[in-house]
Amino acid sequence: MDSRVSREIGHDEYDPWGTLSLIVLYFVALTLMWLFTYFIEFVGNEPTVFSTGVWVIVG
Amino acid sequence: MRIHQYEKIWIVGAMILIVGFIVTITYGSVGLGITMIGDEEETIAPDELNDDEQFGEPRVEQVGENEYAAYVVAQTFIFQPDPIEIPANNEITFHVTSRDVIHGFYVPGTNINAMAIPGQVAKLTVEFDEPGEYGLICHEYCGSAHHTMEGLIVVQPEDEFDLTELSAETPDTVAPGDEVQLNATVENGQLEPLETTVNAEIGGQTFQRDVTVDGNSSQNVTFTVESDQLGEGEYDWSVSVDDYEETGSVEVVPNGTAETEGGEGP
Repeated sequence: MDSRVSREIGHDEYDPWGTLSLIVLYFVALTLMWLFTYFIEFVGNEPTVFSTGVWVIVG
Repeated sequence: MRIHQYEKIWIVGAMILIVGFIVTITYGSVGLGITMIGDEEETIAPDELNDDEQFGEPRVEQVGENEYAAYVVAQTFIFQPDPIEIPANNEITFHVTSRDVIHGFYVPGTNINAMAIPGQVAKLTVEFDEPGEYGLICHEYCGSAHHTMEGLIVVQPEDEFDLTELSAETPDTVAPGDEVQLNATVENGQLEPLETTVNAEIGGQTFQRDVTVDGNSSQNVTFTVESDQLGEGEYDWSVSVDDYEETGSVEVVPNGTAETEGGEGP
């Protein structure tokens, strides 16, 4: 089979920045969705069941 | 082993994300005190709820300063008590159990969400900041009328909330010459003593008496009128304490012609 490689690059020269930016975008989306789900949809849905014991320890 | 720069970023980023998840859950649990409803409560025989000290009479009671306990029984297809009246800005601990099958205990739009399981007691502590009416529904299929099973939680402003109960009675009939006695009982379910005034009216005569009812107790107040002053006939009476009122009527008739009607308040 003919090799169609026109240029061979080293390990560190490989630079898939497009893939990297997609993954970064995915991380950001995941973080925002987590914050929204936990702090707005869950904690914001007061009243929430809490335990008095922990309050004593914290307070 | 050589790891590519981007792979290092990926590994570190994934780690930060996982640690971030754990940190938020820990903050919620330790910082905000959010907890899960456990199964550490004692079990209870569902067919003996009527004999139980707490669930025999489903109610709200004060257990400490700014702390109340609500004992709720779910059964096909109601919640008891209904409505559940509680004060805002106080710690309310619901103890929920079922008399028959599995029910749900859910206040839509909030995180108050538990199962009412026969034999078990779900214990959940919450605090309502906003006075108002909150619906309560059963969200575990429990039978043919499951969709109609609902209750009501009435959160009253802290300064308007009380656990006062008033009951009053007179004899149905009184013979001329005897005294008409109106017995009123003021019950104070809160821990603080209740200082209030009992207003009464019997056949146009008014009475007023200041009473102090100790916490978790009741006091009897008796008002008397000479039936000779009233004369024969039927007379309305009423008793009021704060916003509570009881009414009824008493009849002054000669012995032997007494009817057995009227008398006790509603």
